[in-house]
Amino acid sequence: MNIANFSQMLSFIKPELAVSVTILVVVVFDLIFNKNKKIIPYIALLGIVVTGYYVIQQYALSGTAFPTSGKYGMVTVDAFASFFKMIVLIATLCIVIFSYYSDEIIKTQGRLGEYYTLIFGMVLGMFVMISASDLILIYLSMELMSLSSYVLAGFTKLRTRNSEAALKYLIYGAISSGLMLFGISLVYGMTGTTNLYQLNAALQGADVNLYTVGFALILIFAGIGYKISAAPFHFWTPDVYEGAPISITAYLSVASKAAGFALLMRFLKTTFVTYVDPHGSWQLFNIFDWQTLLILISVLTMTLGNFAALWQDNLKRMLAYSSIAHAGYMLLGVLVLTNKGVSAVMFYFFVYLIMNLGAFFVVMIIANKIGSENIDDYDGLGYSSPFLGVTFGIFLVSLTGLPPTAGFIGKLNLFVALLDKQMVVVAVIAVINSVVSLYYYIRVLKHMFLTKRDEKISIPVPMPAFLFILVMATTTIFFGIYFTPITSWAQNAAAILHF
Amino acid sequence: MLTEFGKIFVFILLAGLFVAVGIFTAKILRPHRPTKEKLETYECGEDPIGTPWVKFNVRFYVVALIFLIFDVEVVMLFPWAVTYQKFGAYGYLVGIIFLIVLFVGMLYEWGKGDLEWDRPQPIIPYLHKEEEQNK
Amino acid sequence: MNGFPILSVITFLPILGMIIVLSMPKEKNREVKIATLVITILQVILAVILLANFNYSLGGINDPKSFQFVEKFRWIEIPGISWIGTFKVDYYLGVDGLSMAMVLLTAIVTFIATLSSWTINKSVKGYFALFLLLDTAMMGVFVALDFFLFYIFWELMLLPMYFLIGIWGGPRKEYAAIKFFIYTLVGSVLMLLVMIGLYFSAKETLADGSQVYTFNLLALMNPKNYTHTGLLSPLNADNIRLIAYIGLFIGFAIKIPMFPFHTWLPDAHVEAPTPISVILAGVLLKMGTYGILRISYPIFPEITRQLMWYIALFGMINIIYGALVALAQKDFKKLIAYSSVSHMGYVLLGMASLSAVGINGAIFQMFNHGTITAMLFLIVGVVYDRAHTRGIYDFGGLATQMPVYTGVVIVAFFAAIGLPSLSGFISEALVFFGAFAVTTTRTLAIISTLGILLGAAYMLWTLQRIYFGKLNEKWANMKDLDLREIVMFVPLMIIVIYLGIYPSAMLNLLHASVAHLTNFMAQHAQSFLISSL
Repeated sequence: MNIANFSQMLSFIKPELAVSVTILVVVVFDLIFNKNKKIIPYIALLGIVVTGYYVIQQYALSGTAFPTSGKYGMVTVDAFASFFKMIVLIATLCIVIFSYYSDEIIKTQGRLGEYYTLIFGMVLGMFVMISASDLILIYLSMELMSLSSYVLAGFTKLRTRNSEAALKYLIYGAISSGLMLFGISLVYGMTGTTNLYQLNAALQGADVNLYTVGFALILIFAGIGYKISAAPFHFWTPDVYEGAPISITAYLSVASKAAGFALLMRFLKTTFVTYVDPHGSWQLFNIFDWQTLLILISVLTMTLGNFAALWQDNLKRMLAYSSIAHAGYMLLGVLVLTNKGVSAVMFYFFVYLIMNLGAFFVVMIIANKIGSENIDDYDGLGYSSPFLGVTFGIFLVSLTGLPPTAGFIGKLNLFVALLDKQMVVVAVIAVINSVVSLYYYIRVLKHMFLTKRDEKISIPVPMPAFLFILVMATTTIFFGIYFTPITSWAQNAAAILHF
Repeated sequence: MLTEFGKIFVFILLAGLFVAVGIFTAKILRPHRPTKEKLETYECGEDPIGTPWVKFNVRFYVVALIFLIFDVEVVMLFPWAVTYQKFGAYGYLVGIIFLIVLFVGMLYEWGKGDLEWDRPQPIIPYLHKEEEQNK
Repeated sequence: MNGFPILSVITFLPILGMIIVLSMPKEKNREVKIATLVITILQVILAVILLANFNYSLGGINDPKSFQFVEKFRWIEIPGISWIGTFKVDYYLGVDGLSMAMVLLTAIVTFIATLSSWTINKSVKGYFALFLLLDTAMMGVFVALDFFLFYIFWELMLLPMYFLIGIWGGPRKEYAAIKFFIYTLVGSVLMLLVMIGLYFSAKETLADGSQVYTFNLLALMNPKNYTHTGLLSPLNADNIRLIAYIGLFIGFAIKIPMFPFHTWLPDAHVEAPTPISVILAGVLLKMGTYGILRISYPIFPEITRQLMWYIALFGMINIIYGALVALAQKDFKKLIAYSSVSHMGYVLLGMASLSAVGINGAIFQMFNHGTITAMLFLIVGVVYDRAHTRGIYDFGGLATQMPVYTGVVIVAFFAAIGLPSLSGFISEALVFFGAFAVTTTRTLAIISTLGILLGAAYMLWTLQRIYFGKLNEKWANMKDLDLREIVMFVPLMIIVIYLGIYPSAMLNLLHASVAHLTNFMAQHAQSFLISSL
């Protein structure tokens, strides 16, 4: 490998480099300004802006870099990756704003430097995960992301719940990544390569033992399923989401899930697709019945998530289960195995990002004041702070998927992808699920608006936080009425993911 | 015909057998003359005081972890040192960047007081005034 | 009228009103009420202007040229790439005779409900903001000609209704509100699936000759537009069109509400405040039957023909069952709610006959039920405001105490029973003529006439129990109607009597559309079947 080649390849990972530099800068500034940590969030913002610049710059780029052997490299850069990197970045931006107003994080006092370092550690892990086209890199990036998030889940050390969350997360995570590593080793043993493109060629050419490959794949999917909290690997989610600080819960529920989905879709499409027909349908290797497996997982995930959420009194826990259910909805877009499905998932992620983070932000602002996320403590809040009540209502309605909010369009896209493949029964199950979900979302509104409370609690909303919520709520409605830009963006990005 | 994994299985069996046979033959062949010194934990002659199952200061672990991390990272420098000349200034620069990152890491642990043996009491965070008073 | 987007204005005027109301200071209750009243009066005026400019000879239904006041432009357009065609949604509004009647009804009932809302004193601003939002949604449903747009308006109605019942309702309001919400949502998600299924089945030819998938209701009515491989294409042998029809029908039937999906209605009515009951019975229930006529009938003509007996059967069950349950009620409002179930049964029966007379009767009955039931709920509201009880046996002899009120009650009750020279009579008669004339529904129609008898029984019995007999001393100080209440009743009474004497006013409006609908269905039931051969 010569130098010119190498530096040209570095240009493929500019966003990742920018994130790495941000990590270093945050550490250094943390050491220099030991007394006054106020500056660190601003450095983080700067890092996000610079990284965002490189991500946008990369949008037109398409190709792979850092080959180990053969033509294809370990890192793939395409519009699909850029889309998900953008999602992760926007989520990170929101989390920085979250953390700025979160009492929990403010009270960690001197440890803000570590907090942001770990967040950017996660971002780096997710970026690589989104772009990785080599099993080893996939594993490493997942570990980088996971290790950072284990620490973050227990970061505040305020209650025993925090430590419990971190420990549970760590144990479940260790098991699933162990399984995944075992799967990877089996695949390597069978085919002699870890590169996804070469794997595709190997599966097409040689007579591999399909049962062993199938077994290995199930192990790898277990690892990915854990990241996107799909049933039956979802057990960690409620406890971790409830125990972790709200900002981290919100972040896990959006960003790490996005990275997991990006990985899942890239892995599926790069490794197993033999060809894509003009209608955008994928033809996969006949290792096992992919579609049935994915349908089972998806239906199980959304049903478990929704029905468990019905009984939750803690809002964080409820949102945790709801995020499991949403993972199930998004799997609908994957299981159709079409480009249309992928673009529907991408659209959904964009919408989910806005509405879910918005909902979490409101929960956080309220928890800052009343110190509780219990649904009974929300009684009458719609009257004492109408702004929070109404915007929270908008987010919840959007999560339910009712027009005229963006959540409806997201669900519509998924159902369109489903019915395009004529999968009516799955669509009916999904639709029934969204009716079930209405019940627990509306329950929050019931407590806020329909139940009265004598004492009045006024919840202070600082001006920038007010603007933040307002922007989130307006976009939720705006994209419900005019969604053309996002859809075209998602469609164009989804089409490219393959060579 | 054995598959590739079948060969591995045979290999594992053989490995186990090899160990068992070795230990068993040694047991038969070796002389057996125990003395008091030989039966002690440390043959250097130090008498151990008390049981080894005591709580160690947690600082030992921190130091061990830090050592481990830097040790592993220094290992990376060996292949670099051997080949960086081929890449000229560019290769040198890459190594320096690696070292800078390591250096920042060291500064960090120094700055955070992890190299001090006696650390001040950790500050336990609190969320609300009441919780603080309860503590 | 050319170029003036009157339908958009009539639909979105309440949204403007909502913004005005929301920007008013919190304590200006009176001003908020007046603003809402002005908006609804403007809406009535606009509706009358629409009617005055309406061309009675144009049919509408499936013919884009004979829709009136059409507004159509591209709302969402996502250019296609190789594996996905162009996605487009039109902002497409227009009225024909069928929707014109409903627009009129909505405008009038909303205006009356605003007057009736004068007694609301709890979070007035929020109430009227939600009320106006609901108004927009209702109007939108009746003028939308694009399925996507229709669906958005349809769903938009749910949330305001949920809060209006849930916040301003009676003691069990939370239960009633959530029940209403969940029932309706189940229906609308079924509708959503059928909508997407239809989207993938038919392609519309655009002006530039390109063919794209479409939500356009008129394009969906043309069997030639269906692709051979489409999910709901007539060529699809798996009975999937039948399943889709049933799904869609359940979606609408929940709203009507048709037995056995009616159980949300009594709860919602009993708990809702009077004006919301008026809106609910006066307009919302009509959306179900309107949806069936506008969407299910012309898009699935062959299946409608196949299932007409079952539709009539459910109509009959609604009539008899609603009337029997109403007989057993001790709560005045619940009685009216069940009488509504019974009356909506006539609409179903009339529609099921698929004859011009029957459908004319059904739509006429929709309008009449809207006005008459609005009156009945207002009547309940009047006693409830004064006595704070609705038990039928708590009253007695109110006629001597409140003569004006009792006069109104008698007109409304007789209209509900279907006394000649009042509007209810004409529409019920037409429904029965239509259903008798068709062999398939004849037996069911004969059984259904029992409903008239039962209707007379529960209405007259109620009249006797509450208004005649000995006056309960507790209510000796009850005041008669004040001016606001009289203003509320008078327009409705005029309509009821006028349409009873001169029904052609309404029938002329409907005639062209209904004739067109029946002809179209007779033809296309064939072509949908032939194309499947």
